[in-house]
Parts: sequence; structure tokens; C-alpha cells
Amino acid sequence: MAKIFLTAFLSPALSIFLLTVMATDVFATQAVPKKNITLKNTSCIQCHEAQNRSLIKDWQNSAHATAEPVVDCVSCHGSLHSNMASTARHDDSCTGCHGGEKAPVAHSYASSKHGSLMRIEKNTYDWNQPFILANYRTPGCGYCHMYQSNHNVSSTVRHELMNGKTDNSEIEKVQDKMRQACQTCHAPRYISLLFSNGEAMLEIARKKVREAKAVIDQAENHFNENQLAPAKQQFKKMQQHLRNVHLGIGHQSPDYQWWHGQPALDGDLLRIKDSIGELQRLKAINESRSDAVSD
Amino acid sequence: MKRRFPLYLLVPLLIALISVPTGFFYVDWNKSGEGAGLYSRDWKPEAIFAYWNPKDFYQSVDTVVGVFDGEQCVQCHQGVTPGIVNDWRKSRHAKPSGQQATVYCSDCHGNNHEDLHLPTPDVCGSCHDKQHGEFIDEKRYGFPSHSLAMERALDAKHFADKPKAEVTACLQCHSVASKCDSCHTRHLFSAAEARRPEACITCHSGPPHPDDETYFHSKHGQLYLAEGENWDWSKPLSKGNYPAPTCAYCHMDAGKHQVADKSIWQFGIKQVNPLTAGNIVKRKQWIDLCSDCHEKDWSADRLKEMDAERKRAWKKLYKAESILKSLRSDKLLFPSAKQRPFYPMNSESDLLHYERIGFFEGQASAFYNVSALERDYFEMWYFENLTAYKGAAHGDASFIKKGHEAMDKSLKLIQDKADRLRFIGELENNIKNDQQKYAPEKLWKNGEYTLYNRDNN
Repeated sequence: MAKIFLTAFLSPALSIFLLTVMATDVFATQAVPKKNITLKNTSCIQCHEAQNRSLIKDWQNSAHATAEPVVDCVSCHGSLHSNMASTARHDDSCTGCHGGEKAPVAHSYASSKHGSLMRIEKNTYDWNQPFILANYRTPGCGYCHMYQSNHNVSSTVRHELMNGKTDNSEIEKVQDKMRQACQTCHAPRYISLLFSNGEAMLEIARKKVREAKAVIDQAENHFNENQLAPAKQQFKKMQQHLRNVHLGIGHQSPDYQWWHGQPALDGDLLRIKDSIGELQRLKAINESRSDAVSD
Repeated sequence: MKRRFPLYLLVPLLIALISVPTGFFYVDWNKSGEGAGLYSRDWKPEAIFAYWNPKDFYQSVDTVVGVFDGEQCVQCHQGVTPGIVNDWRKSRHAKPSGQQATVYCSDCHGNNHEDLHLPTPDVCGSCHDKQHGEFIDEKRYGFPSHSLAMERALDAKHFADKPKAEVTACLQCHSVASKCDSCHTRHLFSAAEARRPEACITCHSGPPHPDDETYFHSKHGQLYLAEGENWDWSKPLSKGNYPAPTCAYCHMDAGKHQVADKSIWQFGIKQVNPLTAGNIVKRKQWIDLCSDCHEKDWSADRLKEMDAERKRAWKKLYKAESILKSLRSDKLLFPSAKQRPFYPMNSESDLLHYERIGFFEGQASAFYNVSALERDYFEMWYFENLTAYKGAAHGDASFIKKGHEAMDKSLKLIQDKADRLRFIGELENNIKNDQQKYAPEKLWKNGEYTLYNRDNN
């Protein structure tokens, strides 16, 4: 009698109980890591690759993944699984590596209207919201550079900013990516005109740099390294001022487009001409003297 | 006997009757070109100017056809541009108090989608007439002013001369005259937001006007940074409402929408006598304002310190200016005004070419196409001088020091360079054969940007 009872009732019940416990346990470890567990990048990827393969792939295609040291999940999200998304969405998680608040890349944003509003309002936003459909009144770094959780940040940045080489083939790709974020607030014509005017403004800045480069290159034939040192020193500043124009356009900071950009380049150019012009003038004086001696 | 109208009155009268209307006609004619402002016939606007100066340049899109009422605008744009609709929903326009009617998109932009307009201050002024009236009234105090910012930018010689894609950068800030959302950003148009110092700093930053840094460095600014988050920004800018002043508290006291009536030093770009009758009245206004928190005598002393700082600064600036002017009179500035691209809006055919030194000669446009020495003085005057000035005005001792140290360094550099120019000039004058003298034109009047700037403005 007891045997019948055991086989008929208890063993299925026990099996179900055991299976349920085991299954729950398995689900539990797969779903969310415990809040106080410190995570490493590899453990994030294992799980999130299964959940959202393209997100991991985007990150792998970004400059962050190949940077030295690598900028991985925990670099921005922290290593505790609670509030991971909102932690990374704050601008501080970007500026920490990108030179701090005073660096041109961050300061050009901070001095834009978007940046001003962010300073006033950041504590009033719900940072648990995704970067989509104007969930934030003003965009921070991530809203534009990681719109719709795009983890390939490099797809929103022109490589010219990093390596100084102009590559016109990437202009359209980057603009298309950016447009998605801009158009949640701004009109299509406004965005297109800002893009095209920005390209024109940047090209003007490049013209100044190329003019200075041509002057220095030409002078290489006549003067030595020591004589050209001041002009070359000035040319280095010019690179930064060109970058300022670029950042000013990208982040819509009038101050970086103008005071830290275009008129600064004007000053660089005339100082380079002045330095090399003086060398040429002294050379002419010397030559006239040796002519006088030989006469 | 018939009395003749005396000739000495008749002639000037006739001259005046002819020349004054001709003058007005000439200015109007100049302003009627494709661009805008005094040199409107010399340049064409970039398409983007429509957004910075809508009055002169905005034309509606015609991509959407139809006449819509306010609710329809909102419904469609909730999907197209949700950000601006979210803003509007939070604004007073969407939720007016009392009996006031809701202000919809169409009330400011028009309801015909093929004939939309960007709201200019007049449009805002049709309801906010007090604020708009104060804003427009600012014009009578002259420049610098918010209200005159656009027209003075368009009238600037370097603005007319430079490629327009480049000077787009200028209009973004100077558009403060053309639209109210420079300070009350669209489409929330919040008074509380404009009361915060951050509302000003997008334009009031950078080398010639480091208002942001000097304010944030000051004790006032430090208090704001430490506690500002907890202040009630819905309160008007008047006595007792704020523990420390912000930009607007002092410059737009009681919310008055003009900033120029108390201006004594006029942005620090020219020397002024602070003790004229008019300026003493302004000084009294400042002291009254400071005494919202401080003692009157203490406040008066701070202003006296600023007088002294300005006096010191101008001593240095005039010294530098006289070095440059004496080089100019000895024809030693190199390259000279003729040997380099001409001063903006001058041309080959002009009779007189000379180097612009000092505010009253138009130095403001002389930051490019000039010799390095002139640029050094430009930076001393416009960057370093104003660094010290803003430090003194906003209570940031570190910027007073920084500005004056930079001016001392520049003055020495200018003196050294001037000596060098004199020395080289003398050597060159010893060359008897003019053919052997160096001609700088080839270097200075050529080059990719220089030629582009010559041919395109």
C-alpha cells in the first residue's frame, strides 16, 4: 500500500519539485547577476551577446574596443549590475577619459546651448530612460553619439578629429547617423543647413592651415631648422585651432567656432608669414651687403 | 527796399537741403542689397542665416501644404519632432494661468504651412509687451547692447569682408537681437532658465569676454555653484529672493529686459571717464543694487578699485599704442597697409591706406591681414585687457592678475619687436638700390585662404 502511494503520488510530486527548483536556479543565474557581484567585461559579453548580439558587435567595431587600454563595458557602466545603464548615460562617464571638463572636446560642448541647458537641468532628468525620441530635453554626449543605444561611438565621429586626415567619404555616413538624433527636436532643413554650413566653415579653416603649410614648405628650401623653429611652433598651435573649429561645429559652440577657432587661425597664419617674411627680408639685406662688398 | 535773404544763410541751407536727403537715400540704397546692413550690396547671405536673422532672411518651407490649427500642429509634430512638443507641453504657453488662452504653435509661426515664420522679438512682444518694450528701449544706450547686436554685426567691416560660411559663427551670438530664444530656449521659453547664469555663458565666454570664468571664480559664483541648485528660480530677481547674485540679478535687476542702462565701462574696449555726470548717476544705481546685500560705502570702494584697475590698464594700452603709432609715422610697420591684403572693405583704388591702430581707427576689424606686431596689440587690447576688466567687474582677483601680467608681457614684447623693426628698417634703408630691397607683397597677398578671402565674401 505504501509502495503504491509512493510511486503514484510522491515521486511525481518530488520530480516536479526538484525540476522546478533546478529550473528556477538556472533561470536565476541567466537572468540578472546578483546586485553585489563585481562584474568583469567577459561576463557581461557572455550574457549580453545572447540578448543583443548587434550591441556587442557595435562596441567591437568602435574605437573603444581597440583602444589601449581598452574601454570596455565596466569602464562606462561600472562593475555593479545595479543602475548600470543610467551610470553610463551621464556625461561624466565620457569626460572622465576624454580629458576632463576643461578639455576642448568637453568644453566645446559645455559652452554650447545644449551644454548650458545640461548644466542647469541634469539633476531633473530621469537617466533610466533610453537615448531615444527626445527622452531628454537637451542632449548630453550619449544622446547624440549613442542614439538608440548605438554602441559604435566611432560611427558618429569624423576620423579627421583623431588623425588629422580629411576623408570626405565618411561625411555622409556620420551625418546620417547624427541626423537621427538631431531630428527628434530640429527641423530637417535646419539640420541640413547646419551640416552644409559646417562643412564650408571647416573647409575655410583648412584653407588657412594649408596656406601656412605651403609657406613653411616653400621656406624649407632656403632656411634651416633653427630659423624655421618659431614658424613650426606656431603651426602646431594651428592644428589645435583647426580642431577647435571642428569641435565648435560638431558641438555647436560659437566660442569654439570663433574665438578659439577662426580668428586664432588668422593669428597663426599671419605670425607664420611674419616670421618667414622676416627671414626673407634679412636674407635680402645680407645679399645686398655681399653685393656691395664684391662691387 | 526789398530785403534779400542773406547769401551766407542761403548757401548752407541749400547745401543742407540737398545733402541730407541724398545722404539718407544713399544709406537706404546701401542697405537694400542682397545681404543686410550698411554693406548689404557687397555680400550674399548663407542659407543658414535665415535661422539667426529671420527678419531679413527667413523663408518658409513649402514641403507640407495646408492650413492647420494649433491642436493639429501638436498632434503631427508629436510624431515628427517630439522634443519640441514635449517642451511646449511643459511651458506656460500650453498651461496658461487663469483665464488666458493656450498659445499654440500657430499663434507664433502662422497656420499656413507654406508660409510659416520664425518668431522675431516683435511676435513675442505682441503678448509680452513690457519685456519687449524694455528690450527695444535698450537701443538708445548705444552699443554694446543685446538689442543692437545683430545690426552692429552686419555693419562690421570684417563681417562684410570675410567669407560668409566663416562669419556664421558670429551670428549665432549676435542673434540675441533677433530672437528671444537665445536666453529663453525654445520651446519651453522659461523665465527661470534665463535667470540662471548658464543661460548667458554660451555667448559670454572666451578671450574677449570671460564672463563665465570670472563670475564662477568670484565668491558670488562659488556660492551659486555650491547652493544654486536649491534656490527657488521661479522668484523674480529682486532684493531678498536670492542668497547671491547671478548675471541677471545685477545686469537685469528686477527682471528689466535691458542690460545697457547701467553700463559705465562700455565693455572695456575704449577708455571712458567714469566721473561724468551721467556715469555718476549710473554708479549710484550700481551702489543701490549692491546694497541689496552690502553696505553702501563698501560697495562704493569696490567700484573705486575698478576705476583704479581701468586706469592702470589704459596706461599700459596707450603705451603700446604709442609705440605702434610712432612706428607707423616712421613708416616702419612691416608689411605696411599697402603691402598686405587691404583693410576690410578697402580696395586697391582707395586713396588712403594706413594701419588701423586703436579703437577709434577701426582696430576691431584689424585682427587678420595685419603684421604680427599689430596682432599682438590687438590681443593685448581685446583679450588681455578684457580679461583684467572682467576680473575687476565680477570680483575675480585671479583674472585681474592674469590680465595685467599678460599685458605687461605683451608690452615688453611689443617694445622688443618695435626695436627690432627699427633695427632691420635701418639696415634696409642703407640699401641704395631699391631693386634689392625685399618686397613682402608676394608672401602676404598670396596663398589659398588669402586669395579665397579676396575673391569671396
